[in-house]
Amino acid sequence: MLDPLAVLDSASKSFGDVFAVVELSLSIPGGEIYGLLGPNGAGKTTALRMLAGLLAPGSGSARVAGHDANTAAAKRHLGYLSGSTGLFGRLTPREVLDYFGQIHGLARVEIAKRLATLAPVLALEGFLDRRCEALSTGERQRVSIARAVLHDPSVLILDEPTSGLDVLASRFMRAFVRGERDRGKAVLFSTHYMAEAELLCDRIGFLHRGRLLVEGSPAEIRAQTGTNTLEEAFLALAEEPTFAP
Amino acid sequence: MNLKHVTLTFGKELREALRDRRTLAIMILLPLVVYPLLSMLAAQVATGREKQREERPSTIALSGHSPARDALAAKILANPSLFVLLPGGAPPDVEHGRLDVLVEFDARDASNLTVIYDASRDESRAADERLGELLAKSLPDGCAPRFSAQRRSVAPQARLGGYLLSKALPLFVVLMVLLGAFYPAIDVTAGERERGTLETVLCSPIRRFDLMLGKVLAVATLASITGVLNLASMAITLMQILHLAAQNFVVDVPWGHALLSSLVIFPAALLFAAAFVALGATARTFKEAQTLLLPVYFLTVAPAMAGAIGEYDLAGLPAWIPGMNITLLARDLLVGRATWYGGLATLASTLLLSAAALTAAARIYDSERLVAPTPRRKRTAGSAARDANAGDAMVLFALAFLLLYFVFLPIEQHHLATGLLASEWIGLLGLVWLFARVTGQTFKNVTRLSRPRPRALLGAVLAGCSAWAAVAILSEWLLPAPKQMLEELRKSLIPMDGSRGFFSTLLLVAASPAICEECLFRGPILRGLRTRFDAAAAVVVTAALFGLFHLDIYRLIPTTVLGVLLGYLALESGSIVPSIVAHFCNNAMLITLASLHLDRLMEKLSHRALTLVLIASLVLTAAGLGLVRGARPKPEV
Repeated sequence: MLDPLAVLDSASKSFGDVFAVVELSLSIPGGEIYGLLGPNGAGKTTALRMLAGLLAPGSGSARVAGHDANTAAAKRHLGYLSGSTGLFGRLTPREVLDYFGQIHGLARVEIAKRLATLAPVLALEGFLDRRCEALSTGERQRVSIARAVLHDPSVLILDEPTSGLDVLASRFMRAFVRGERDRGKAVLFSTHYMAEAELLCDRIGFLHRGRLLVEGSPAEIRAQTGTNTLEEAFLALAEEPTFAP
Repeated sequence: MNLKHVTLTFGKELREALRDRRTLAIMILLPLVVYPLLSMLAAQVATGREKQREERPSTIALSGHSPARDALAAKILANPSLFVLLPGGAPPDVEHGRLDVLVEFDARDASNLTVIYDASRDESRAADERLGELLAKSLPDGCAPRFSAQRRSVAPQARLGGYLLSKALPLFVVLMVLLGAFYPAIDVTAGERERGTLETVLCSPIRRFDLMLGKVLAVATLASITGVLNLASMAITLMQILHLAAQNFVVDVPWGHALLSSLVIFPAALLFAAAFVALGATARTFKEAQTLLLPVYFLTVAPAMAGAIGEYDLAGLPAWIPGMNITLLARDLLVGRATWYGGLATLASTLLLSAAALTAAARIYDSERLVAPTPRRKRTAGSAARDANAGDAMVLFALAFLLLYFVFLPIEQHHLATGLLASEWIGLLGLVWLFARVTGQTFKNVTRLSRPRPRALLGAVLAGCSAWAAVAILSEWLLPAPKQMLEELRKSLIPMDGSRGFFSTLLLVAASPAICEECLFRGPILRGLRTRFDAAAAVVVTAALFGLFHLDIYRLIPTTVLGVLLGYLALESGSIVPSIVAHFCNNAMLITLASLHLDRLMEKLSHRALTLVLIASLVLTAAGLGLVRGARPKPEV
């Protein structure tokens, strides 16, 4: 097995008296899409934020490409995107990409080259010089993807990236994520749409009340729970605490 | 029109607005707390400066020979509180500030004299005014004047223009720079958070300090542009207004000085930008940031306004008070009186504070509070009790202030003792009791009125009995109160005419405030603020509120310093009993000294003797605090 690029090792996190994530361990190698599934409030976003270096684990550790997640070295290998990720509304996509590209240490020429590659793939050409606040939701999400992958990171963390997108935009997003997986990236994908995870993910982890209930490929989980769909599997797992590790 | 729909919408909007704490804060806190507090402090500064000016005699000299000269000299010498007669002088002495006013007698015409003063200097204008009154008094009613006095100002037109501009321009410029920093600071912090771009930035490999420095510099640039444009526009407008008001009044605009004074805009913009960005960083939304920044905006205006009204010299403490020193430096640059010390002290204090604010902002951005959800607390089933939070602390302070200002101060003006007792026992202790009832806690728990360790009590007695000297000496050195005001305060609180006995005074001025003020300030206010700030910041903010609550600009420093000490005692001992004891000892020492007239003896001590007293006081206070350190009782298992 390849060396894992994104690792949570017995990571726990609490806010006040409430535990959001309890001793969570995940390990995602390059070339894999890992889906973190669970209902609202299950702890998915907290887990992803620990890997993105936004939150420090209360106990355990979070590592990206071999570096502690809360270091600049880790962040250089990371592309992070969430459904609620905003863009600087008064800047154009070109200006946004230029800013983040330079923060990631890319020279202006390299940024222009990357943009020339990404623009046709993400269909950005028509609005690269329009202010972000004037873009549609789908267009903004495409700019956000470009921003997250501009520096060609080895780990992509996508927190409910299809939330609020229409069917076409969601489909485009899934195709892009598969493409990145095929280019050897480790992709951690969180969603509460079970059907989407079934279509996209190589491996899935079910998170419920901060704990990982089960982990495996969609087929393995269905077989383990004796169900036909991931949704049924999740309901069975959430109601049967005996499956807990 | 459907009236039902109108009333329904009206009711719904009103209900929503009144449930928003921020709307209430803007609606109540600003008009009822911040404005009265600021206006009262500003009035005290103006009165205090007026009294200090009255206490300072003007320097005067007479030149030329005339029989009338001796008569005037005799009059001047008969008023030593108004004038100091110098043996001689010339117009350049007035121009360079060595002399306030010069009287020149005409040798050919005994009744003709010329008063030479500097219209661009307040002291010289005051001396001219005093001399005018003295000359008028020397005439018996109905008599023809013995003197024909002409007045001549030696101030060049450009300096006079600078002087006139200096009366309004520096404060306006500071206000404009503040305004220029206000919205951009909110936009780059809380605005970024609200727009959802914050996470993206925080995931990038950028150092928090670099990020915040970039933001602060951007806000400071925008604020500077606002300041420069306003300065230029106002200088021209003011001069045009003056010209229109009096067509034959010729005043030059000192463009060189105006340009120089614009230099203060940049450090001012940097300071306000750093402070606002640091505060804005703690807010979750644009609206919350506005609520946080608005009172701070007014509190920042306060020292600037004090500088403008008070006409302080840019030396000593005023040169180090941020905001105030900026106004004073701009004024000095406009009138061409700036000194290197004033300029460098202003620059140093501004840069130091800006760096501190910037570091605080970077720390806030480095912490998780920006992305972490609001901490939730588990409530015990069936229990409605809750601890005080920072919002409660501010509401309690606002309520205590409102009661004091609008209810108990008017009572104090009619009958001091009744007003004082009512404000302490009803306005403060009653408020704490009510808060305990509303939050379902016991009074003991709300105030942390628990038994302290004996060494904590001993330390409190030591610190309380010794700190007063250091506090009094330092505040006298930093911001001395006018003697007349001190005397009035002493007479009202500690009367020596036998109208109140020693023990009654002790009860009224020492025991009562020690119990009631500690129960509120070191009780729910300190504990509430502790939920939002770290221990040091909570103690300092509580102490500042405690200082402001005394409604006296000249007691602001001593009461705030005392508040820091009392806060430390309360937090370290885990009980407010030591802070009550120390507060009582401090006030009791001051009463005892005044009763034995020892306080007047202290006023006569030399600088060296005062330094020794200060050192002894600091050593004993430190020993007291050392005893209290770590004296918190172990929690019960």
